This record gives sequence, structure tokens and C-alpha cells, in this order.
Amino acid sequence: MVENQRFGNLPAHLVLITGVVIVAFPVYLAIVGSTHSAETIANGQLPLWPGDQLLENYRRALFVGTTRTTRALVATMLFNSLVMALAIAIGKIAISLLSAFAIVYFRFPFRNAAFWVIFLTLMVPVEVRIYPTYAIAANLNLLDTYTGLAVPLIASATATLLFRQFFMTVPDELVEAAQIDAAGPLRFFRDILLPLSRTNIAALFVILFIYGWNQYLWPLLITTRDDMQTIVIGIKKIVATHDALTEWQLAMATAVLAMLPPVAVVIFMQKLFVKGLIETEK
Amino acid sequence: MADVQLAEVKKIYPGGFTAIHGVSFVVPDGGFCVLVGPSGCGKSTLLRMIAGLETITSGDIRIGERVVNQLEPTERDIAMVFQNYALYPHMSVYDNMAYGLRNLKTPKSEIESRVAEAAQILELDTALLSRKPRQLSGGQRQRVAMGRAIVRKPKVFLFDEPLSNLDAKLRVQMRIEIRRLQRRLQTTTIYVTHDQVEAMTLADMLVVLNAGRTEQIGAPLELYERPATLFVAGFLGSPPMNFLKGTLESPATVRLDDGTAIACEGAYAAVPRGARVVAGVRPERAIVRPLGEGLAKGLAKGLAMKVDLIEELGVGRLVHGQLAGAPMTVAIGPDQQLPASETIGISIPADAVHLFDAESRKRL
Amino acid sequence: MEKRAVFSHKFLPYLLLAPQLAITIVFFYLPASQALRQSFFIEDAFGTTSNFVGLENYRYVFADPSYYKAIVTTAIFAAAVTICSLSFALLLAVMADREIKGATAYRTLLVWPYAVAPAIAGVLFIFLFQPSLGMLARGLTALGIDWNPLLDGKQALLLVIVAATWKQISYNFLFFLAGLQAIPKSLIEAAAIDGARPWRRFFTIIFPLLSPTTFFLVAVNIVYVFFDTFGIIDAVTGGGPAQATQTLVYKVYNDGRLGGDLGGSAAQSVILMLIVVALTSIQFRFVDRRVNY
Repeated sequence: MVENQRFGNLPAHLVLITGVVIVAFPVYLAIVGSTHSAETIANGQLPLWPGDQLLENYRRALFVGTTRTTRALVATMLFNSLVMALAIAIGKIAISLLSAFAIVYFRFPFRNAAFWVIFLTLMVPVEVRIYPTYAIAANLNLLDTYTGLAVPLIASATATLLFRQFFMTVPDELVEAAQIDAAGPLRFFRDILLPLSRTNIAALFVILFIYGWNQYLWPLLITTRDDMQTIVIGIKKIVATHDALTEWQLAMATAVLAMLPPVAVVIFMQKLFVKGLIETEK
Repeated sequence: MADVQLAEVKKIYPGGFTAIHGVSFVVPDGGFCVLVGPSGCGKSTLLRMIAGLETITSGDIRIGERVVNQLEPTERDIAMVFQNYALYPHMSVYDNMAYGLRNLKTPKSEIESRVAEAAQILELDTALLSRKPRQLSGGQRQRVAMGRAIVRKPKVFLFDEPLSNLDAKLRVQMRIEIRRLQRRLQTTTIYVTHDQVEAMTLADMLVVLNAGRTEQIGAPLELYERPATLFVAGFLGSPPMNFLKGTLESPATVRLDDGTAIACEGAYAAVPRGARVVAGVRPERAIVRPLGEGLAKGLAKGLAMKVDLIEELGVGRLVHGQLAGAPMTVAIGPDQQLPASETIGISIPADAVHLFDAESRKRL
Repeated sequence: MEKRAVFSHKFLPYLLLAPQLAITIVFFYLPASQALRQSFFIEDAFGTTSNFVGLENYRYVFADPSYYKAIVTTAIFAAAVTICSLSFALLLAVMADREIKGATAYRTLLVWPYAVAPAIAGVLFIFLFQPSLGMLARGLTALGIDWNPLLDGKQALLLVIVAATWKQISYNFLFFLAGLQAIPKSLIEAAAIDGARPWRRFFTIIFPLLSPTTFFLVAVNIVYVFFDTFGIIDAVTGGGPAQATQTLVYKVYNDGRLGGDLGGSAAQSVILMLIVVALTSIQFRFVDRRVNY
């Protein structure tokens, strides 16, 4: 649209650049912090540009650990986080695809009841029922296991609802054509419905991977052994807030490593990420 | 090859709505049957019942010797072309055609030769076989959908309004191709459409449906010339038949409601005098004459028609107006002169008058 | 909306539903019902006996001044984060919605904090505001402000709010941008032809049309503050100092773990569940796209 703008788009650029700076500054400073020595930081003399300790700090964080603790290495914790995030994302997608398929493509007694049983879980976040859930997991011997980290977080209505919504938009005639083409329900699911859901699955995977990676309260409770901890829990334990002797350069290196995978996923799969985010919420 | 027989087929939905009220007909082996009617008349439901996509509440459907009521769609040996084609969007054209055969464990070489044969029959370029449906034009998609039906070599082809997504020109072209294809393959075909031109041109056998009941079954021309009900009379033909209300004064005269009389011809001796009737006249059978001239030439007297609109079609003209207090349309040839006056004379040959009982709406 | 074409099979649908239903029942309904049950019982210190006490736990919760404090803290927290991050995000989205150079680059640069875990966001802000070595903390001190969130409850709450707001901007930005892009251009052009200047267009056309998005985001942001900020609080303040940053959810966690008061914690959980149900239903009433039954 032609608009008589005295300054053109300059104000918009200024606002956006300010926004980007505000959003990026804490992370930038963490990166800078992870490249300086402990002394520089402890003196409160951290400069605005990176130092020369990058390799040393990351090597120590990943493979050596902080000096005064026996905490698990960042490499171990990254691995745990990866297993948990993948298990949650894949698990949720798998069970949701199956249940959405059942709800949309079959008529059977208690179908509506099953839908509501799943749907109502939207209303009860894990934080609210944390101790009873913990007790059940403990009874099932799931403490300090990957199963315990992932499975209780796998069931949720969001993914099921998304797939249900998507399946509803698949034309009826495709099922009918498949039925005439001698495809039973499972063959239709595998040959037609799954390939058609590819984009949705990918978008959901991006969102769920981030969701799983960033879990905090549940892993905090379910893991007692250091070598089962996830990176998001580990970073908090490295930073002893009230302790001036926190090794900040290692804490920041760990924070950067902990942010890297999910942030990379968002940046490199931005289209899928935006699609997933908007479709899981609406 | 097989015939298709429907005997008292009914469809009542769980909610209590009766979609099909007992329909019976037989499509002979190799016949081309068109189910036609306005939207909501049950024609698609009936087709889907034959396909096995809808359950049958009562009655029997036979394909060849078998009653197929309880059979799955695959077991009925049919193939179907859908309105929106229902091509699998993620599969290539080849895979779309081959999918059903693969599911039936047809040997690979057999699949290849059948797809190639279908492509050749439909004049589908082999380069198209590796494309995805979205890369094809509407006409090509239509052909692929037909190809998917052909490769199965089914006993029956079912078409559900297959041309309604195409533009007018392509629709005419594909209509001709479908008819040629069916002649060539000699496969029994049942075809659903709401378009009466498609119905007239394609069918060997026309089934007119209205509100879940058959109005009339027969060859297209037979239905056109001797419609059994007011509904069929009004549905077939474009522009539609004109209807004039009146009473039967004698077996050869109808007195219209405004007092004018028109002659009619037929076996009406048994109809009581004074019966309420509807006289139907096809637009192309009414003749334009100067007012009052008719009697002298042995034709019915010219009736006054008030003209309010003339549509020029190129191949002729449509004259719209009022006659005896009812709307009337007359079709005339391109060469015919039209008086410049607002009121023209119309004469209606006695053998052009179809008489229907106003009460039962059936032909007298 | 229902499918016309379906498969008929006696057992298959149940088999397909089984995994999700099993996990849902074991890890949702069982714990939720246990929380409900526990809220009516008091266990002794060793967990050996438990006595039915009716609504005693609830009465205790509502008689506890620290519970009211947590309610007030949660309310301030929710209001501040929602208002700040929504307005900032809306400003950025309106700017990014214009036809300007680098619009996609700006979007990329603004969305990634969504991927940062709340606990890590907390750690980043400690690093900035740690009184002795934080770069921004030193700036505040240099301005003559007595900055010490470790001791000052108000400053601690402020710090948590800032971190939570920072983390939520990208989410709100994305939804506002999507909402803005869904507004038909022709409407804005019609308003321009009707003589409305940009500011007027924003307040009379764009903002009203955006209101479903805004409403949805308000609900989402409140739920976010209730639950997802747990990691930020735990990392930055641990609920302190002197419970100044203890939200309702954090109190459930604290009372159950440190205090060992499972009955009281369960009663709080039940109250929270009711709040979530209320919030979620409001969210659905206004943005009803998920359930078309």
C-alpha cells in the first residue's frame, strides 16, 4: 500500500532491532561468559566480547566436570536429555496416531467415552499431580530409568487432537477408494494415512522434541542418580545460587550446550516449528 | 461380465430417515445405466450401496449370480470413479493404478501390462505415469481415475458424478470418451449424475429418481417422449416442459383455467369429464403463428402469448412470456420470423400435449 | 463433523486405543484420583497410618497465611508477565507484519528463545543479575540502586518476572504475527480508503480483529505462569527469599517435598486442578477449534 511515510520503515527496523537485541542479549552474554576464565567472571570484569578460554571451558564441562563435585559429565547429561526428548516425541506421536485413527475411522461402543478420557488430560498438567504420579512411578520401579523419565509424559491429548483434526480433513473418498482397492484398515493406515500425515508428524516432532528436552520438574523428581540426570536439571545443580564459588564459565558452557539442540531445531526447522506450534494450540 | 439386479432395495438411516424407498431395476450385462435426479434424491446413496460403501437396510442387490448385500467392496468385483477422483495424492499415477492390484497380490508383470494397457486405452502419455496427481490437469486426473477402474477388469463400473469438477468444454469431451470407452470394453456401467444432458446422452437405460423413489425407468428417448410423471416431464429436457393447468372437457379438449381451450390427442375416453389436469408442452413443439391464423390451416387456434424476454442462443431463440396466465417458453429456429408485437400467437399441435392427472401427477 | 466412510472391526479400535488409554489411566487418572483421596486424609510423619479428616486439609490450607501470600504472588506474577510480554510481542509483531526488508530474518531472530528451557532462562538471568558479578546487576548498583535479589523479596520477584517475560515473548510474537497475517488485506485497504490513518486503523480495525488471538494468548500466558515457570523459580530463587517468589504450584511442590505435608499438598493440587479446568474451559469457549463434537 502506498503510504506517505516520512521515515519509511526506519522506525519499524529500530523497534525490531531493539527487540532482537533484548531477546538475544542474555544468551549472547552466556556465550561470552563461557569463553572467559573463572577469575575474569568472579571479579565482575566480564567484557562484552568473547575471551580465549572457549575450548578449555567446553572440554572441561563436557568431559571433566566441575572441580569440587562428583556430578555427572555434561556429555552424559546431554545423552540422557536426548534419549528422553526422543522417547517422548516418538512415543507421543506413535500412541496418538493410533488412538486418533481408532477414534476417527471406527465406530464402536464407548468411542465418545474414550475420546473424552483422552481429551480431559489436557486439563491436568503434570505439576498438579506430581507426588501421586511419582509414587506410582516408584511402585513400578521406574525411578532412575529412561522409561520412568519418558513414559509418564507420553500420554497427552494435544497430539491426539491434532491428528484427529487432520484425519477429519482427509476426504472420505480416499478411504472408499482404498476399500474398493482391497485395503483393510491397517493397510490404509500404513499406505495412505501415514504418508499423508508426514508434514504433521514432522511439525509435531519438532514441538515435542523441544517439550521433552526442556522438561524440568518431572526429571528432577524421578532421577536420584547423577548419571541419570538430564542437562536441564544438571545446569541448575552446577549453579549454586548462593555460592560465590560457582564456576560460572563452566555453568555458562553447560547452559549453551543445553540450549543448542532445541534452539538449532527451531532455527533449522522453522517452518515445521511454526506449523507445529500454531496447530497444536488451536 | 455380469448384469446388476436390484430388488426392493431400501435404505433407512439409524435416525429413521428413509433415503431409498424400495427400488428395483435390472441393468443388463454390458448396459449403461444412468441414475439421474436432483440433489438429495438418493442416487449417490444407491450407487454407494451397490459399491458396498453403504449398508442395505432391506432388499437384495445381485451382481451376476451373487447376492452381494453382505460383501465388502473389494469382494464385489466392482470399480468406482469418484466425483473428486479420490486419487492417492502421495502416490504416482502408476502406483495409483497399481495399488488395488498389489493388494490383491497380482503378479508384478501382470500389473505392469494392465497399467500399460489402461494408459494406452485412455491415451495417457507414459511420461505421466511417474507424476503425482497434483501435477496433472483436471482432464488427466479424470483419466487416471478411470484408469484405476479399468486395470481391475471389474464386472461393473460405478461412476459418481465424475464430470462435475471439470469445466464445461472438457465435460462434453470426457462425456464422449466415457461413452466410447464403455462401448469398447462392454462393461456393465452404472453412472450417477444430476445433469440431464449427461444422462440423456450417455444412457442405454435411464433411471429417474426423486426423493428416494424411482419415477420412471427406460430408454432416454422413451422417457423424453412419454414421461410417466410430471416430475420426469419437468426434469428431462432443457428448457423444461411448459405446464398449463385446466380441466378435461372432452377426450379431445382441455379447458385451461383462463377459459381458452386447447386440443389434445390420446386415449382419454376413460378419464372422467371435468377432471383436473396439467397439460405439458415442450418448448420446441409449440408453433408461433399470427394470432387467429391457426384454424384455417387445420391447426389449433393461435393462442395469445405475452412476450417479456427473448434469449438469443445462436442455434435458435427462446421466447419467454405468459400464456393463459401461466409462464410459457417457446423455442424457435434461427430463421423463423418473430412478429414485432408484444403479443404473439402460439398454436399447440394436439399430439404435442402431454396430459397428467393434477392429483396423482401421473400421465393420463 | 463425522466421517462417512469407516471401517468395521470388532477389536481393532480397542487395540489401537490401548497404549494411550493405559498410559493415560496409569499416569493421569490414577494420580489425580489419589491426589483427590489424599486431600481428605492426614498421614503421620512416617507414612504408616492415615486418617480420614474430611475437609480438614482444605480448611488448613485456607487458614494458612502463606497460602494467601502465594495467591497474591501468583496473581502479580501472572498479570505482570502477561501484560509485559503480550504488549512487547504485539509491538514487535505489528512491526514485523509490515512489508519490510528482512522480515523473515527478524522472525527467526525473535522466535528461538521459545526453545530455551525455563530453568536455563533462569540461569541466564542469574548470570546477568547476580549482585556481585552480574553485568546488569553492577550497572544497577552503579546507578545507586541497592540491588540484591537474594535478600530483597520484591527484587527477586521482579527478576523472576523479567526472566519469565523474556522467555514468553517469542511465543506471543508468533501467534500475534499469525493473527495479523490472517487479517484480510482488503479490510485494511478499505479502512485506508475510508480515510483512517495508521494509528486509527490499528485501534479500530486491526486490534479488534486480533482480539480472539489476544484472548487466547492471555489464557495461555496465565497457564504458562502457573506451571511452566516452575523451572525459572526453582533455578533463580527456589521460592525465596522468605517465600517472596513462591507461586501456588511451587508451594505444592515445596509443601509436599520439604514439608512432607502430603495431605495439604494434595488439597492444594486439587484446588489448582479446579483453577486449570476453569482456565482451560474459558480458553476453549473463546477459541473453540479443537472440539467439534
